[in-house]
Amino acid sequence: MRSLDIGATGMMAQQMNVDVISNNIANMTTTGYKRQRAAFQDLIYQNIDRPGSTSSDAGTTVPSGIQMGLGVRTGAVYRMTGQGAIQITENPLDMAITGEGYFQIELPSGETAYTRDGTFQVNENGEIVTTQGYLVQPGITVPEDAIDVDINESGEVIVKISGQTTMQNLGQIELASFVNPVGLEAIGDNLFLETEASGAPTTGNPAEDQFGSIRQGALEQSNVNVVEEITKLISAQRAYEMNSNVISTSDEMMQTTSQLR
Amino acid sequence: MENSIYLGLSKQMVLRTNMNITANNIANVNTPGYRGQNTLFAEFVSKQRDIDNPKDPLSFVYDRGQYQVTDEGPLQMTENPLDIAVVGPGFIGVQSPGGGTAYSRAGQMELGPGGELRTPSGHPILNEGGAPITIPANATEIKIDSKGVISTQDGQIGRIQLVEFANVQELEAMGDNLYTAPAPGTPATQSTIKQGYLEGSNVQAVLEMTNMIDTLRNYQSLQSMMQTENERLRTAIQRLTRT
Repeated sequence: MRSLDIGATGMMAQQMNVDVISNNIANMTTTGYKRQRAAFQDLIYQNIDRPGSTSSDAGTTVPSGIQMGLGVRTGAVYRMTGQGAIQITENPLDMAITGEGYFQIELPSGETAYTRDGTFQVNENGEIVTTQGYLVQPGITVPEDAIDVDINESGEVIVKISGQTTMQNLGQIELASFVNPVGLEAIGDNLFLETEASGAPTTGNPAEDQFGSIRQGALEQSNVNVVEEITKLISAQRAYEMNSNVISTSDEMMQTTSQLR
Repeated sequence: MENSIYLGLSKQMVLRTNMNITANNIANVNTPGYRGQNTLFAEFVSKQRDIDNPKDPLSFVYDRGQYQVTDEGPLQMTENPLDIAVVGPGFIGVQSPGGGTAYSRAGQMELGPGGELRTPSGHPILNEGGAPITIPANATEIKIDSKGVISTQDGQIGRIQLVEFANVQELEAMGDNLYTAPAPGTPATQSTIKQGYLEGSNVQAVLEMTNMIDTLRNYQSLQSMMQTENERLRTAIQRLTRT
């Protein structure tokens, strides 16, 4: 019975669907998290009677034939890069990107990772770092005697140093953008790596060209829509049950057959 | 002499096909753009053994073909700019693995490494001229209008191939949400594209579940018919051999 295996492919696909949905729900309050979605596709078809095959000497053809589908598979799990909501935190080193672009982070290995999570802090040397302590590129060091840090829309970090009347420009935060941000490889900790599929990064100043602007004192929340995830969870669960029903029905049919003496 | 058993068997064979197709429909209840399949049964009338007395020809059943359910699936709003739904009978042109044109109703698109529009399994989406569509790297906004014209903030970049077929039943499913056609489709006149939506599977879960129960019960009743027939034969043989 093919239906037994087909039911199994259906259950596996729905299982994967529930896994993806639960990861989205688990990360609904993760800063800068982008929700994922499982894309399903039908499996290959077995031609029992090929459509268009000749059915008589007179040249009549079978209009539709018999094509047996073999179930479903998960074609891809991909990331939806839509903008998340902006939450005001008033923390001077929190930054949110509104629009395209990623912050560049130097990993301990020397590689560059990319993130939308702008929860930054200052380390013991005054350098701007992520919560894991990785350096934000290009490196900016905030002097010890700075009393106020101001980051404008185009990413310029300007500080007021005690005893001085003029503000001091420390440098600029640059963003990186990708042709295909969906192709980035997630490595956890809200970080992503460049891959062949994402293409090489283009760096530039915020609020210029395609890059989004930076908002100080705010964080980008995850773009998970809880209502949508819950309704998807319900439909995945029902689909799972229906597939398990297919298996038990096939089982019953086979049982019926085996009872024939 | 065992004709009634063979008749029952012929029906059981088609019920199995029916069950397999129903199972495939249920497995694809969440597959975007999937279209349900239904089986067609036909009568196969056997040659009569007694030409002079042609009153009881045997009529077997066999699965002659199947057809695609062409109802439109429900539209789901996703707000993803790279999701499109086809409203109407049309199909989107997609480059098939063999280089030809395949057709699909699943409008989930993503960008490839060079910015080309493609399906989640990597088949490029084609424009009217049959060439892949590439989105420039600096695009911040992708708009797709009801005719399938894609534009970014810098203007139009192409139009998605949207075609219709005189006979949709001629399309052959090849998996990956793709179909192949015996002849290229004609440019769509009755179909439009809706951006930010996806067409769900048009499988009616309730219908498929009742169909499945129906198949099972039919299968079981045939089984008991065959068993009764078996019993009858056995009794006949026992009685006749008792001298």
